[in-house]
Amino acid sequence: MSNFIPGQPLIAVVLRIEIKKLRQGDNLILGFSIGGGIDQDPGQNPFSDDKTDKGIYVTRITPGGPAEEADLRMGDKIMQVNGYDMTMMTHDQARKRLTKKNEDVVRLLVTRKSLEEAVKHSMGSYPRQ
Amino acid sequence: MEDYDVRSAASILASVKEQEARFEQLTRALEEERRNVSLQLDRANLPPNTPTSQPLAWQQLVMQEQSPSNATSLSMMQEPQEVVEETVTIEEDPGTPTSHVSVVTSDDGTTRRTETKVTKMVKTVTTRTVRQVPLGPDGLPLPEGSSPLGSYTDSIDRRYMKNGGDRFITPQATSTLTRSYNNSYNDSYGETPESQYIRHYGLHDGYADLTENYGSLSRGVNFRPPRYPYLPNSYRPENSYTLPIRKDDYGHVAQPQVPMGSSTVDLNRSQPERFQAEPYGLEDDRRSLPPEEEEPYELEPDYSTANRRTLQGPNRGRTHREPLRDVPRVRGYPDEAIEAELIDERHPYIHGMYSAPLAQPERGSMASLDRMGGRRSPSIDSIRKDPRWRDPDLTEVIAMLGHPIDPVKSNAAAYLQHLCYENDKIKKDVRQLKGIPVLVSLLDHPKSEVHRKACGALRNISYGKDNDNKVAIKICDGIPALVRLLRKTNDMEVRELITGTLWNLSSYEPLKMVIINHGLQTLTNEVIIPHSGWEHEPNEDSKPRDAEWTTVFKNTSGCLRNVSSDGAEARRRLRECEGLVDALLHALQSAVGKKDMDNKSVENCVCIMRNLSYHVHKEVPGAERFLDPSAPQAPGSAGPQRKKKDDAGCFGGKKAKEEWFNQGRKNGDNDKNYDTLDLPKRSEPTKGFELLYQPEVVRLYLSLLTESQNYNTLEAAAGALQNLSAGQWTWSNYIRATVRKEKGLPILVELLRSDSDKVVRAVSIALRNLSIDRRNKDLIGSYAMRDLVSNLPSGQQRPAKNLEEDTVVAILNTIHEIVTDSSENARSLAQAQAIEKLVAINRTSQSARETKAASHVLQTVWSYKELRNALTKDGWNKSHFQPTLTATPKPTKNGKPGYDDTTLPLMEKNQGTRKCGSGDMIPMDELGPDGYSTIDQRDKDLKYKTVDGSVDQTEREPLKNDTNRKHYIRSNRPAVSLVDACDVKPQPVDSWV
Repeated sequence: MSNFIPGQPLIAVVLRIEIKKLRQGDNLILGFSIGGGIDQDPGQNPFSDDKTDKGIYVTRITPGGPAEEADLRMGDKIMQVNGYDMTMMTHDQARKRLTKKNEDVVRLLVTRKSLEEAVKHSMGSYPRQ
Repeated sequence: MEDYDVRSAASILASVKEQEARFEQLTRALEEERRNVSLQLDRANLPPNTPTSQPLAWQQLVMQEQSPSNATSLSMMQEPQEVVEETVTIEEDPGTPTSHVSVVTSDDGTTRRTETKVTKMVKTVTTRTVRQVPLGPDGLPLPEGSSPLGSYTDSIDRRYMKNGGDRFITPQATSTLTRSYNNSYNDSYGETPESQYIRHYGLHDGYADLTENYGSLSRGVNFRPPRYPYLPNSYRPENSYTLPIRKDDYGHVAQPQVPMGSSTVDLNRSQPERFQAEPYGLEDDRRSLPPEEEEPYELEPDYSTANRRTLQGPNRGRTHREPLRDVPRVRGYPDEAIEAELIDERHPYIHGMYSAPLAQPERGSMASLDRMGGRRSPSIDSIRKDPRWRDPDLTEVIAMLGHPIDPVKSNAAAYLQHLCYENDKIKKDVRQLKGIPVLVSLLDHPKSEVHRKACGALRNISYGKDNDNKVAIKICDGIPALVRLLRKTNDMEVRELITGTLWNLSSYEPLKMVIINHGLQTLTNEVIIPHSGWEHEPNEDSKPRDAEWTTVFKNTSGCLRNVSSDGAEARRRLRECEGLVDALLHALQSAVGKKDMDNKSVENCVCIMRNLSYHVHKEVPGAERFLDPSAPQAPGSAGPQRKKKDDAGCFGGKKAKEEWFNQGRKNGDNDKNYDTLDLPKRSEPTKGFELLYQPEVVRLYLSLLTESQNYNTLEAAAGALQNLSAGQWTWSNYIRATVRKEKGLPILVELLRSDSDKVVRAVSIALRNLSIDRRNKDLIGSYAMRDLVSNLPSGQQRPAKNLEEDTVVAILNTIHEIVTDSSENARSLAQAQAIEKLVAINRTSQSARETKAASHVLQTVWSYKELRNALTKDGWNKSHFQPTLTATPKPTKNGKPGYDDTTLPLMEKNQGTRKCGSGDMIPMDELGPDGYSTIDQRDKDLKYKTVDGSVDQTEREPLKNDTNRKHYIRSNRPAVSLVDACDVKPQPVDSWV
C-alpha cells in the first residue's frame, strides 16, 4: 500500500476477517483497539511503513476476545468494515463505524504486512508458469 | 433380473458414495492446504529477495484451485499477468459515500477533493476461477463443455456460503490482483448460489487503497482483450455490448431475456474512465461528502447485487456525485411497472426511429451511443466494425429527449447525465444545442423515471466552473421547476437529485437570490424542518426528535449555506423564513446531544447560523431598541444587568480576580458591572431569528467548539461567537458575559493551538470581540497571551505554524485590543517574550499589514510608562517601539536611545479614536478581513474573485470553502497538537472497540 506509483495498478493484499461481537452487559465488544485516522499524527503509528499513512490500525488485541478468536492481529490495517471504506476516516468515525449497536458482526477487510510481502514475493515468479 | 438390478443399483450407489467420499477427502485436503498456506503466508516474514517455499506453496495452492483445464488455458494466455486465478475486482461503491479527498484534508472535508480530483476506487474482489474463453468467430465465447471442475469450484463457493459465519482467511482473498475486472459480471448470475455468495461476501473483500491514482487502474482494463469470468454453473459468457443506461433500465428486470442483456462487463470496459471515476469523481459543486453519513439506508447496505452500479444503498447516499448514470433499481423498486414498460417499448422505438442501425433490439436503444463516451475496448471496436451500427451524436440524443416515448426520453436523459460527467465540453455542447430547456421541461413529466433522469442530467450539468450552464438552467426557469418537483415528489432519490442540483446552482452568486425567491420556504418546509426533527408545536408526549443527517438534508443545508452569504437581503430573508432558524438550531442541538457533529450537515448548519448571525445587531428588526448607548467603554453597563459581582472567572483562578481588582482603575465605576448580568425575562418562548442571539446559543457553539473535529465547523462556531459578540447592543453584552460564564474562554484559547489557520483566525477575532467586555479582557490577557504570541512568526524563519497573513494580522489586532487600556496585559505580553517577535515583524515582515499591526501593538506597549523600565532592562529602547517609518521596511535603527516625547502620541491618536471613540465602536466593515465579525471569511477567493472583489468586503462568501482548503493544511506540526487543541478531552488515539 505504501509505495504505489501513480499510473500503476496497485496490489492490495487483503484478508477478510469476520468478528462476532461479544455482548458484555449493554456493550458489544470486539476486543481490539484501533489507532490512527486522518486526524491523528500518522508519524506516531508504529505499525505503518509509510509514516504518512493515516489509516486505521489495530493496536491491541484483547487476549481471548472476539478479535483474537477471529485471528485479527496487532498491526493489521483496517481497510473496510462491512463494506465501508476505512482508510479515510477520522479516528472517531472509525470507532463509530466499528461499534454500531445494531451490528452484531463486523466483516473487516484488513491488510497485513506479512501477507503482502509473501504475496508480492510469490507473484514474482507467478506469471512464468 | 430384479436381483441384478438391485445389485447394480447398489453398486452404483456404492460407487457414488465412494466418489463422494473421495470428493470430500479432496475437499478436506484442499481446505487443509489452504489453511496451511494462509498460515504460512501469515508468518511469512520474507526478505523480499529470498524465494522460499512460501511462494511455491502459494502457487501450489493456486494450482489446486484451478482446474487442470485452467492450467491449460494458462498456457494459452498471451499476457503473462493473465493468471488463471483471476481476481475479479469490482469497482464498488465503498459504502461510505465519502469523498475521501475531503476527508483527507482532515482540515476540511471538501478541499482536497475539489483540488485533486482524486478518484477512489474500492474494489470488490471476488476470487473466481476464471478462464480465458476462446472466442469464436462471432465474438462469442466458444461453448465450453461442462468441465468437471466446474462443479468443483462451485462447491467451494457454496461452502463459503455455508460457512458464512466463519472467518474468511483465504488465500484467494490475499491475492487480490487489481488488474481489474473492473466490474460486474455479477449481474448475470441471476439467482444462483454464486450470486448469493457474492452478495454476502463478495462485495467487500477486495480492496485497493489508491489514494492518488486510481484512475489508472481501470483504464488498464481498457485495452485488454475481453475475458470472461467463467462460472461453471450459471455463468453465460456474455458478449453483448450495451450502454450502461440500458442496463439501467432493463438489466435488472430479471429476465433471462435479452441474451445479451447483462453485459455490464463490457460496458464498463468500454468506458472505463468514466465509470471508474464515478464513485469519487464527484461532480458536485464545492461540497464534500462527509466521511460517514448516517443515512437511514446505511443500516442495511444493500448488497443484494454485487455490482457496484446496482448498489442502491450507497448510491443513494451519494447522489450528488454525478454517477454517470443512475443506479438501476434493483428490486422492489417502485417503478417496476415502468421498467416493464420500457422493455415493451423498446422495440417500437428502435424500429420506429433507428430501425436500420439499431436492428438488434437487444442491444438497447442506446447501445450505439457508446462511442460518444470516449474510449472503447477493442472488443467494442470489433463490434463497431459492423456497418449496421451507428452512434447517435449529441444532437440526436438531445432530440431523443423529445421523443414521444417516455423510456426513450429517460434513456436519453440518463445518457446525457453520463456523458456530461466530468466533461465540461459536453456540458457546454448540451447547452449550446439547447438541451437544457428540454431537460428542464422534463422535470414536470409525470413519470418518475423521466423526471428523475432529467434531474440527474441537470445535476451533472449544473456542476462545475462553467457558470453559463447554471445560468442556462435558470433562464429556462429551471429553479422553480426543481422546486415544484421537490414539492411533488416523495421519491428520496429524486429529492436528493433536486437538492443536489440546487446546491450546485447556489454556488453562483447571481442565482442565490433566485433560489431564495423560489425555493427558500419550500426547502425549509420540505426538507430542513422535517429532517431537523424540529416540530413547530411539539406534542407533549412525543419526545423531541433527533435530526436525520440525510443526503437531502445535507444538500439542502449546503444550498442554504451558499445562499446565506448573499448579503443583507439574503440574510434577512433567511432569518425571517418561518421555522428555519428554529429547525437549524434544533438540528445542531441534536447533533451536540448525540455527539455527532463532524458531518457535513452540521457544518452547513453552523455556517448558516454564523452567516445569519452576522450583523444581527444592525439588521434585525427592532435592533435599535437594544442599542447600547453607553457603548464603547461600558461593555457591561447596558440595560438591567448590574450587581452580583462575583462569578469566578472561567479561568477559575483567584489570581484572575485579584489581578482584575488590582488594575482596571481606568474604567472607574464601569468595572463593577462586568460580571453582572441579569438576562431579561421573557414572557414567551423565543422563536425565529431571535434565537440567533439568545445567550443560550453560546452553550451550543461552545459544545461544538469542544467536540467537533471538523475545522469548518470549528471555524464557523467560533465565527458565530465572533459575530454575536461584536457590536454594541444589549445582546452582544449578554453574549460576551455568557461566554465567560459558560467557561468558554478556555475553550477558545485552546483552539488557538489548532493546526487550522482559519480556526485560529476565527478564534482570535472572537477573543478580540469578547475582550470588549472588560472582565474578559483581563482574563484573556492573563491566560491567552502565551498562546496568542506563540502563533506569531518569530524572526525571519516563518514560524512553526506558518499562518497566513490574515491570521497573523488578526492575532496582532487581538493582542492590541487586549493590551489597550490594560498595562497589566501589556506586562503579560512582554513576559510572554512577545516583544522580540513583534519587533521582528515590525522590522522584517514582508507584509505591510503585519508590520502595521505589530507596530500598533508596540506603540501601545511603549505608552505604558510603568513598563518602560522593565523593557529597557530587557534591552529594548524606544526606537524598537516606533513605527518603522515611511514605508521603509528595513530600518537600520539602533543608535539613539530615547529622549522622547513622553506621550507617544502616534498610537493613541489612531487607536484612541477607534477605541474610545464613539458609540459605534466596532467598525466591522472598515476592518475588512481583520474585522470583528465574519461571514465565512475569505472562503472563496481564487475561483470566485470576480464576484467577490469590490462589491462588499464584508460579505464574503461562504461555502466556497472547498476551493482553497489546501492552504490550511499544516503538515509541519505533529497532529498531536491538533488533538490537544481541538479536543478538550484528549482525543482517543487508541480506542477499544
